[in-house]
Amino acid sequence: MKKVFAREELCVNCRLCEVYCKTNHSKSKDIIKAYKTENPAPVSRISVYGDKMLSVAVNCRHCDDPACVRACITGAMTKDKKTGIVSVNENKCIGCMTCLAVCPVGCIKTGNIAFKCDLCGGEEPACVKNCPNRALLWLETGGSE
Amino acid sequence: MNYIIIGASAAGLAAAQEIRKTDKSGTVTLITEESYMPYSRPSISYFLKGKVKESDMFLRKPNFYKENKIDVVTDTKVTSIDTEKKIVKAGRKSYPYDKLCLCTGSVPFIPPMENVKGKSNALTFLDLRATKAVKKLANDKTRAVVIGAGLIGMKAAEGLVKVCRSVDVVELAPRVLPSILDSNSSKLVKKHLEDNKINFHLENTVVKAESKGDKITSVLLKSGKKLPCDLLILAVGVRPQSELAEKAGLEVNRGIITDTQTMQTSNKDIYAAGDCTVSVDMLDHSKKIIALWPNAVQQGTAAGSQMAGGEITTGNTYSVNAIDFFGLRICTCGLINAQGDQYKDKIKKDSDSYKRLIFEGDRLVGFVLINSSQNAGIYTSLISNKVPLNFIQGDIMDTPSLFMFDKDIRKFKLTGGMQV
Repeated sequence: MKKVFAREELCVNCRLCEVYCKTNHSKSKDIIKAYKTENPAPVSRISVYGDKMLSVAVNCRHCDDPACVRACITGAMTKDKKTGIVSVNENKCIGCMTCLAVCPVGCIKTGNIAFKCDLCGGEEPACVKNCPNRALLWLETGGSE
Repeated sequence: MNYIIIGASAAGLAAAQEIRKTDKSGTVTLITEESYMPYSRPSISYFLKGKVKESDMFLRKPNFYKENKIDVVTDTKVTSIDTEKKIVKAGRKSYPYDKLCLCTGSVPFIPPMENVKGKSNALTFLDLRATKAVKKLANDKTRAVVIGAGLIGMKAAEGLVKVCRSVDVVELAPRVLPSILDSNSSKLVKKHLEDNKINFHLENTVVKAESKGDKITSVLLKSGKKLPCDLLILAVGVRPQSELAEKAGLEVNRGIITDTQTMQTSNKDIYAAGDCTVSVDMLDHSKKIIALWPNAVQQGTAAGSQMAGGEITTGNTYSVNAIDFFGLRICTCGLINAQGDQYKDKIKKDSDSYKRLIFEGDRLVGFVLINSSQNAGIYTSLISNKVPLNFIQGDIMDTPSLFMFDKDIRKFKLTGGMQV
């Protein structure tokens, strides 16, 4: 499967990945509305950690045997057999956040329910598309660029 | 091979799934006394308050069972196990097995109270059937009394407060949620629950009920106080459902005793997993019942694998729990009530959040996080992997992130070793 890979050597902590992720996961798909007016506020599923000197964007690793899927108490968190994408069924999630309590990477986000990277459904993800310095890559795992 | 699993919640379903992964041809039968396909019991309070629909409570899609050839037998209460003939009996029906797994979970523990037993408005709150009965009795005129301020009681109270006129909680302990909170944090949580219209009667207990016909009308507390009551929820606690195992001659001590890695019981063809078993906590080596979902899935997966000749074991066993009440997020892990000089802790708090980390030597062994659980799984991984704290960069009390680790480890966690 294709996943998002971050290169901390190239990250400049601009956080545009967060902006575009949040917008792409909003109802309006409009940056201003996503940030200023939408209720419930959309949630970015990628986060940049670090400081101006050293930073990196972290989002879901879509693990082979995901701890979040095993721990999910409602069956809302699943890994798609075909695509490998780990995602949350928003009707089933009750927002207990057990997934967050067991994710070793720290990529589950809290809203009224759990939010996480869904790889934008399989298209080139918004974070990768809008990373200005190619610190984020969308690569087949095990393959090269 | 003929695999039988008794009980179809977290552990039973995980066992069935893992058996099928390992053995493509054997028959897998999941027997449950409930009337539903495997569903999420923790969702019942959300169903009660109308946040989750019944159809969204099922743990797997219907075609999962077809694809994996897992036969689910509902409405069937197993009455005995014949370990000689290797047969499971449910009334007149019998099911032969080669390998059997007991995932019978917990049953409510109901202390003796005068005039409560058998009353039509005294109900437990553990499964969907009971929840539907509660839902029928709960409306805007209902004055509900919940006995027990543990996880089940408080989830019932949270659900009921949305629909009922009043909700009173009676608890024997001096604090709320004693199993997952330390005394400091339980004060903060109690205040939040009170702000959301739940009334508490701590260090108190229901002595007897007054009734009219088969209905309770009020309850009398030890303190002498009388509470009008149209609906009484019995949520004092649970105990492992281990009668079947006991009758079959398996080793039982409160819960079913198993090999902690393979989940095999004292009978080599019988395994057990989930809340009905005794776990050994990796952090203090104590034997305890860890009645939590992730533990049940881990044990069910190990049992299923072992039954089918696979090699998966339970690995590290510890408690981890996350829950929310009216938007207040509680996340706990490890030894939160550890007693002894070897344990040290650090606390960071303000008016609406609380973070307490518990250490033993150079290891993190527990945490209590209230409204401060961002990236809590990184703490959990430090606990379960016994990571020495001198590996950690920065202040451990800050929000954890991959920058706690040095560059090589951080890179590996992000790329899985792939060169990018």
